Amino acid sequence: MNAHRLLLAKPWIWSFAATASVWIITVLFTGGASSLGLSQAALTFAAFSVIVGIGQMFVITLGPGNIDLSVPATMTLSGTLALKLMDVQDSMILVGLVLSILLGAIIGLGNYALIKLLKIPPIIATLSMSFIVQSTAIWTNRGLRIKPPETLASFTTSSLFGIPNVALVALILSAVAWLLLEKTIYGRWISAIGQSTFAARMAGVPVDGTRLVTYMLCAVLASVGGYLLASFSGGAALNMGAEYLLMSIAVVVIGGTAVAGGNSNIPGIWGASLFMFLVVSMLNTYGFGAGFRLILTGLIIIAVILVAGGRRSTR
Amino acid sequence: MIIRKMLFASVATVCITASFSAMADTAGKKIALSNNYAGNSWRQAMLTSWDKITKDAVAKGVVAAADPFTTAENQATEQAAQIQNLILQGYDAIVVNAASPTALNGAIKEACDAGITVVSFDGIVTEPCAWRIAVDFKAMGESQIEYLTKKLPKGGNLLEIRGLAGVSVDDEIHAGIQAGVQKNPQFKIVGSVNGDWAQDVAQRAVAGILPSLPEIAAVVTQGGDGYGAAQAFAAAKRPTPTIVMGNREDELVWWKQQKDKNSYETMSVSIAPGVSTLAFWVAQQILDGKEVKKDLVVPFLRIDQDNLEANLAKTQKGGVANVEYSLEDAQKVISAAK
Repeated sequence: MNAHRLLLAKPWIWSFAATASVWIITVLFTGGASSLGLSQAALTFAAFSVIVGIGQMFVITLGPGNIDLSVPATMTLSGTLALKLMDVQDSMILVGLVLSILLGAIIGLGNYALIKLLKIPPIIATLSMSFIVQSTAIWTNRGLRIKPPETLASFTTSSLFGIPNVALVALILSAVAWLLLEKTIYGRWISAIGQSTFAARMAGVPVDGTRLVTYMLCAVLASVGGYLLASFSGGAALNMGAEYLLMSIAVVVIGGTAVAGGNSNIPGIWGASLFMFLVVSMLNTYGFGAGFRLILTGLIIIAVILVAGGRRSTR
Repeated sequence: MIIRKMLFASVATVCITASFSAMADTAGKKIALSNNYAGNSWRQAMLTSWDKITKDAVAKGVVAAADPFTTAENQATEQAAQIQNLILQGYDAIVVNAASPTALNGAIKEACDAGITVVSFDGIVTEPCAWRIAVDFKAMGESQIEYLTKKLPKGGNLLEIRGLAGVSVDDEIHAGIQAGVQKNPQFKIVGSVNGDWAQDVAQRAVAGILPSLPEIAAVVTQGGDGYGAAQAFAAAKRPTPTIVMGNREDELVWWKQQKDKNSYETMSVSIAPGVSTLAFWVAQQILDGKEVKKDLVVPFLRIDQDNLEANLAKTQKGGVANVEYSLEDAQKVISAAK
C-alpha cells in the first residue's frame, strides 16, 4: 500500500524504470562491455533534450493550449548568430552566450506579444514566430557552418569525472528550474494558472506577467540549448533544431508532467530524455530497419505513457 | 555553332536595346525555379548557384527572367499550388526540385498541357511529359565500396549511415552499398543508423550504437554526415576508421587535418548543388528548340586524396564543394544522352 502511494506521488519513476530496462537490454547485446560508453553517450545527448524540455515543460504547465513550437527555430537562430558573432575567438565566448540569452528573451517576448496583443492561440503564434526566426537564421548566414571557438568546443565535448560537461550544465539548469518551481512564488503561480486561469486571476495572481516570463524562459532555454548544441557538433546547421520540436514535447509528456497543465515534473524529464536516446540506440544496436524502428519507438512511447498515466488516473 | 549564335545574340541584345529577339530564340522567355526546401546548406548553395548563373544569363539577354521560388513548408501540396501559380504567371519553362516524385504529377501535367517546359532535377518527378536530370545514386553507393576494396583489400566491418528514412535517394544509395557488399563479401555491415544527412543527427546516432559495435574498418555514408561520425568516434576514444565523406567544407577540413597529421586516406562523394544551373541550361536549350532526351544523367562530384587541396581551396568556408555548370556543360550532357 505504501509502495503504491509512493509510485503515485512520483510519476517520474516510470520513465526511469523504462530507461533502466532499455539500458540493460542494450548493454546485454555486448555482454556488458558497452555499459560505460553507452551511459556517457546517453548523458551527453540527453542533456540537450533536458535543456529544451524544461522550457517546454514550464509552458505546458501553464495549461491547455499552451505550447511553444518555435523551439527548433530558436535553437537554430541562436546557434547561427552566436557562432557568427564569436567567429572562433575564445575571448568572445561569454559575449556569444549573452547574445543567445538576449535573443531567446526577445523571441519569447515576441511569442507572448502575438498571443496576448493579437489574441492568436499559442500554437499558431509560436508557429508563425518560428517561420520568422528560421528565415532570419537562413538570411544571416545562408547555411554556412562557422566553427565554434576552440575552448568552447572542447568544453562541450569533454567531461568531468566521467560525466559529460553538457550533462553537468543541464543538471545545474534543472536544479535551478526545480528551485523556481518548488520553492518560489513564481512556481506556485504557474501551477495555479495551469490548474485554473480564472481562479488564479481571482486570487490575485499576475497571470499575464507570469505567462510572459514563462514564454521568455522557454525561449531562453531553447536558445542556450542551441548555443551548446552548435558548439558541441562543430557548427550550426539550418536544420539542427528540427529533432527537438517533437523531442521537447515528448520528454515532458513521458516524464509525467500533466499535458493538461498545472502539474510539472523535472526528474521525469531526465528519465524521459535518457529513455528517448536509449530506445533509438537499442533498436539500432539490434539492427532493426528504419521503418520498423520508427513503429517500435512510437509503440514504446505509447506504452510508457499508458503505464505512467494509467496509474495516475486512479488517484 | 550554337555557341556563336548565342554569343552573337547576347551581344546584340545587350548593345541594341531595341527588340532584337529574333536572333536569340530564348531572349523573351521566362524560366522559373520551383524549389521545395531551403533549410539546409546544400539547398542554400543550390539557390546561390542558381542566382549567380541566371543573373548573368538575364543580364546578357539569354533569357528574359529566371526567378527562384521556394515553398515555406517542405510539402507536395504546397508545391503543387505554387506550380499552378507559376502556370498562371505565364512562365515558359519551370525548373523543379520536387518534394515528391509522384505527388506533383497532376500539377506538372497541367503545366505541360499549357505548353510549358518542365525540367526536374535532384528531386525528380515521374510524370512522362517532364524532363529528368537524375543522379545515379545507386552508382554513388557502389563507388564507395569499390573504393574501399582497393583501400582495404582484406575487408572488415562497415558502419552504414543512412539518410532520411522514406526518401527515395536514401533507398537508392543504400541499394548501391548493399550491391557492393554482396559483390565483396570480405566486407560486412555490422551496424546501420539514420543520420538524416545532418552532422548533429549522425553524431547522435553513431554515438548511440558505437559502444556495442566491434572494431569498425570503414564508415559508408550518404553525405553531410561524415564529420558527425568522426566526432562520435573521437568522443568514444576509438580508432578512426576510413570514413567516406560528403563534400562539406568541415568534412574536407577535417580530412585535410588528418591527412597532414597521419596521412589519413579516404574519398568524398556527393552531388554538386550547382546541378540547379545545369537544369537551367537544359531548360534554356529545350526552349531554344533543341532536341533533348527526357532522361539525362548528371555526374556526381568526387574528391580524392590527390585533388583534396585543390577542391578545398575552391570551397566556400562552411559551405559545400560545388560546380556551376555552363551552357557548354549542358550541351555535353545532352549529347551524351543521345
